[in-house]
Amino acid sequence: MTGADMVLEALEREGVEIIFGYPGGANLPIYQRLPAHPKLRHILVRHEQGAAHMADGYARATGRPGIVFATSGPGALNLVTGLCTAFMDSVPMIAITGQVPTAVVGRDAFQESDVIGCTQSVTKHSYLVTKVADIPRVISEAFHIAATGRPGPVLIDICRDVQQAEGGEFEYSYCSVLPGYKPALEPDPVQVERAAEMLAGARRPVILAGHGVILSHAEQELLEVAERSGTPVGTTLLGVGAFPVQHPLALHMTGFMGTGWNIKAVQNADLLMMVGMRVDDRVTAKLSEWAPKAESFVHIDIDASEMGKNVRPHLEVVADAKRALKAMASQVKPPPADRGEWLTQIDAWREEHPLKYSRSNGHLQPQDVLIDMYRRCKDDAIVVADVGQNQIWAALWWNYTKPGLFINSGGSGTMGFAFPAALGAKFGRPDKDVWCVAGEGGFVMTAQELSVAVEHQVPVKIVLLNNFSLGMVRQFQDDFYGGVRSEVDLTVMPDFVKLAEAYGLKARRVDKYEEIKPAFDEAQATPGPFLIDFRIDPEANVYPIVPLGKGLDDFWELPNGA
Amino acid sequence: MHSQLRVLRVLVEDNPGVMARVSGLIRRRGFNIQTITVGPSTEPGRSRMTLTVDAGHAEVDQVAKQLDRLIEVIEVEDITDAPTVSRELLIAKLDKVPPAVEQYGARLLAAGIVELTADSETVEDFIEFLKPFGIKELARTGPVAMRRSA
Repeated sequence: MTGADMVLEALEREGVEIIFGYPGGANLPIYQRLPAHPKLRHILVRHEQGAAHMADGYARATGRPGIVFATSGPGALNLVTGLCTAFMDSVPMIAITGQVPTAVVGRDAFQESDVIGCTQSVTKHSYLVTKVADIPRVISEAFHIAATGRPGPVLIDICRDVQQAEGGEFEYSYCSVLPGYKPALEPDPVQVERAAEMLAGARRPVILAGHGVILSHAEQELLEVAERSGTPVGTTLLGVGAFPVQHPLALHMTGFMGTGWNIKAVQNADLLMMVGMRVDDRVTAKLSEWAPKAESFVHIDIDASEMGKNVRPHLEVVADAKRALKAMASQVKPPPADRGEWLTQIDAWREEHPLKYSRSNGHLQPQDVLIDMYRRCKDDAIVVADVGQNQIWAALWWNYTKPGLFINSGGSGTMGFAFPAALGAKFGRPDKDVWCVAGEGGFVMTAQELSVAVEHQVPVKIVLLNNFSLGMVRQFQDDFYGGVRSEVDLTVMPDFVKLAEAYGLKARRVDKYEEIKPAFDEAQATPGPFLIDFRIDPEANVYPIVPLGKGLDDFWELPNGA
Repeated sequence: MHSQLRVLRVLVEDNPGVMARVSGLIRRRGFNIQTITVGPSTEPGRSRMTLTVDAGHAEVDQVAKQLDRLIEVIEVEDITDAPTVSRELLIAKLDKVPPAVEQYGARLLAAGIVELTADSETVEDFIEFLKPFGIKELARTGPVAMRRSA
């Protein structure tokens, strides 16, 4: 069997059903053999970055690794942003790139680049394959590494001559053990007991839940721990959905664009239990002013290097979030008699600092658009947000009781992520409605993938929140950089309805509140992809927000009556 | 401020590019390599590294933890505060060989070239001692280290 067939055969053995890719000179042998493997569906993207985000969206929506093919040099380098996006958010992905033939590696051959070197810091691991016999082992290891422990992208760079070489009989064994890779899954029972005790001993505890809770499907265990111990729960941006936002104990989103009542709770908590999260700067704002009243931090994460990376916990539980919370659920004690005071206080903050927006200037408000969209989602559709104001609005107005259905680029903050990721999500979950929420700035960064949506009639509904500017940057300039609006104007953009029509999908424009409903009705009644160009208030801002460099206590919000 | 220097013993897979992975990770995390030695270990296909790393602005335990995340890193041991023996090799070409190099435990390796194997502090002292005799060239390995037997 040739190397190319080995690659494709190995993917079949791993249960791969779809590949997002782009052919070129250095992966020709694989593409030559692809039609002989009809079980593997291939989606020809229009730019390799689109392939990486589609694979990412597919992986987040299904929990299975997303697969990407690209050729050497520019093809592989176009994946870098997508790999980084997946790496920062712990998303399983396998990128298989063609490399120039072994004989010319290092000679600056045509379309040669040091893909391993260029991607080292944005992959969980990577392989350069120069021997055909290594292919089955490398691919099985890659799947094991990408999908277990803290998931992440793995890149396999295969020289073209190796793809063509005859490798003898194909033998495949699934990798489950590697000498230098032993993810910690089971929690230490002593630490779990201690964590439960600390939770019981706290007067003003808060649990914060991150992406790790969603990745390990620990939401039920989280709910049990929270309810049994009477502990309020907030989530990170990537943790949105890990805890039902309508729950009486819900604090909704934390961090420097989190809800006011969440911020108040974090800043007054005497114990913070962080689960499956990195405690990054978007969560803490100014670190030295974060959670100033906390006497103890408990950190649960599968990655030991997260312990003390940003915040030094008093108790470390290095384990899978689901297993740790499950073990804890049976040990937590009912809340002390005075817990009502803490919860009443949080309710008061919720009343004092509600999410709000203003319609007073007559413009279309993004929140009105999203509230109508979420009403139609019925707690079941996948919502993929891009990066910027649209992302935070989509997170703050989230109303689900179920987890795992909100997808966005949290760590990397990659503009242009949402649309291809939404396509990938829909390819992976055809049973789900998929909505793509994006600003016009991010959307045009990967809008070429509209062709993929049309070619495969992928019924993703695009909710374009078009404010004619780089809204988040404009807001930062207005609020924190002296009001100097510098290079944020996007009034010269394509007519998005015509752009959509040029690509071959239906679209419509919405300028007024009254037009929201009929536009969504039409989008939902249309079988294929649909774009709605919502021309929203160009001055609409995200609130609450903490000024850059300040502590959470300094959060700004829309004044009452604004 | 307490020292951010960590001494680490690391067992790695002897694959091409492992050094680049280790050094790349150390750079990316804002750490700084002071010394690095690498050679075959007793296990076939595996190499032993001794690293002296400045943790920079990070918490000191981050160096070992981050290295441990690398798939090809099999074992990381932070021996900074452990009882260890540590040795490095120095060779120096001199204008004039001083009379009593033996008092440092050094020896004449070739005409005008001396060799010393000692802990890093002694090596530093020895270099100071040599300076007046004119050092033409100097090469140091950086330390290799291991824990003392219990």
